[in-house]
Amino acid sequence: MNLPGISLAYLRAKPLATALNLLLLALGIATITVLMLATQQIEERMGRDARGIDMVAGAKGSPMQLVLAAVFHLDAPAGNIPLADAMELARHRLVKRAIPMALGDSYRSFRIVGTNHDYVAHYGARLAAGSLWTKAMEAVLGAEAARATGLRVGAKFAGAHGLGEGGEEHEEEPYRVVGVLAPTGTVIDRIVLTSVESVWEVHEHGKPAGGPRELTALLVQYASPLAAATLPRAVNAGTLQAASPAYESARLFRMLGVGVEVLRAFGVVLVLAAGLSVFIALTNALEERRYDLAVMRMLGASRAKLMGLLLIEGLALSVAGALLGLAFGHILMEVLGAALRAAQQVPVTGWSWVAGELWLLLLALGVGALAALLPAWRASRTEVAPVLAEG
Amino acid sequence: MFSLKGVRHRYGAREVLRLERFVAAQGEKWLVLGPSGSGKSTLLHILAGLLRPSDGSVEVARPIGIVPQKLHLISSLDVEDNLLLAQYMAGAKQEPARAAQVLAGVGLADRAHSRPHQLSHGQAQRVAVARAVMNRPKLLIADEPTSNLDDAHCAAALDLLEAQAAECGATLVVATHDARAKPRFTNRLELG
Repeated sequence: MNLPGISLAYLRAKPLATALNLLLLALGIATITVLMLATQQIEERMGRDARGIDMVAGAKGSPMQLVLAAVFHLDAPAGNIPLADAMELARHRLVKRAIPMALGDSYRSFRIVGTNHDYVAHYGARLAAGSLWTKAMEAVLGAEAARATGLRVGAKFAGAHGLGEGGEEHEEEPYRVVGVLAPTGTVIDRIVLTSVESVWEVHEHGKPAGGPRELTALLVQYASPLAAATLPRAVNAGTLQAASPAYESARLFRMLGVGVEVLRAFGVVLVLAAGLSVFIALTNALEERRYDLAVMRMLGASRAKLMGLLLIEGLALSVAGALLGLAFGHILMEVLGAALRAAQQVPVTGWSWVAGELWLLLLALGVGALAALLPAWRASRTEVAPVLAEG
Repeated sequence: MFSLKGVRHRYGAREVLRLERFVAAQGEKWLVLGPSGSGKSTLLHILAGLLRPSDGSVEVARPIGIVPQKLHLISSLDVEDNLLLAQYMAGAKQEPARAAQVLAGVGLADRAHSRPHQLSHGQAQRVAVARAVMNRPKLLIADEPTSNLDDAHCAAALDLLEAQAAECGATLVVATHDARAKPRFTNRLELG
């Protein structure tokens, strides 16, 4: 027998009201948890994917589309660029390194990216099996692509035209898997790598090229910070489009940020509504329990004890609601992550924690304490004699 | 024991209790009689320390056990917890063994884990008495313990109070407007 025990007995005595208050609070906390987990993981992931790439050069069009297509592999590219123009840019004195990208085909929704070994080195990827490609039509699979497709070193597969499922298969030009990469936690896990020459060969069907060869994009690392001021302008003045991954990512998050903030505000409103609901429940409880409180005073309870009783009730509701909400949030995030992984989108997981969740717990505690404060104070003012006299 | 001297109590301008002297020795049994509104409950609340009188001096040996008229058991707690609540709220050590002993004393040893709504009125009254004696009171107060009871239950309720008070060596004060209690008490205070 102690104050928490008595508070819990009161909560158990009203299971429906208790469950509804818990649910309301849990929904609010879960909404905010999902948003925190999603934004943190996506920002982290995109930051890792874009690290070290100062500029992307591609076909004229939307710079954001170019970055999404060439860096994050989430969108289709607007078009290709002449190989000669790309090589000219790669030789520019302000360019330290330029990694070619040739897109166009996929295997079971995993993009086949024609590039060179610098791309593998850029993401610090190591081989889990086999070796890197040395000639055309050899392929190396990212860890997630290998896991999902079940392809092993030595296996053959035919790429399909286009970046989604259902494209025409290039059966006459099959790839042979020569290597599988270890997981890196970056975009390279979700793609199939090969040489640029392989992509050209597949699309030329073994015949000589009908026109000048093309690339889809060039991932550029500046030789000097000064290049940021001049190189994009110079590129945009020509036949190519320059885009900064850092800038476009920030722009994307600003655009998404409005929606995220609206959802976050919705979550906070739910938490506040739960606080109001706890306040109403405890205020009603005061009226229902005026005899109980008077009896407790009669039995010798101090005012502090009666205040503690109601405060603990509010805090118990808020802690339980917050923990339930955090659990809901993580489960929901894992379900969402599984769906996104299945669709080869940005992978997110529910099995990760962010420091902000501690603040969420404190927010819920604060709301619970605030909701309980006035009823608790009123409980502590219970006058015994008048209540028992009217009994 | 207790001693009330020159006690007056007023609600606003209305005086509801005037008592020049009311003194009881340890172990005595007192009956406070009077019609509704005569100040019986006010006197009990002053004795119990729940109400400070407008004037006069009050000295009461503690602890005090109270059986309120409506019993007021806590419905969300079982019988045993209702008894332990008396010790917890008074800041005393909780003694489940004492609860079992007191429950056995009122004939409810098998109802320790029943909820108040599962008890008959007579059983609930016995639990309320058991709760009042949990802290071994020196003064046991009962407010209208026989109201709405037939003769047999009236006698049983008073027997129980007397037996429990005797076991604790407590002074017993029973307030009632029920004349059936009169023959059992030689010490009587008539109000109104």
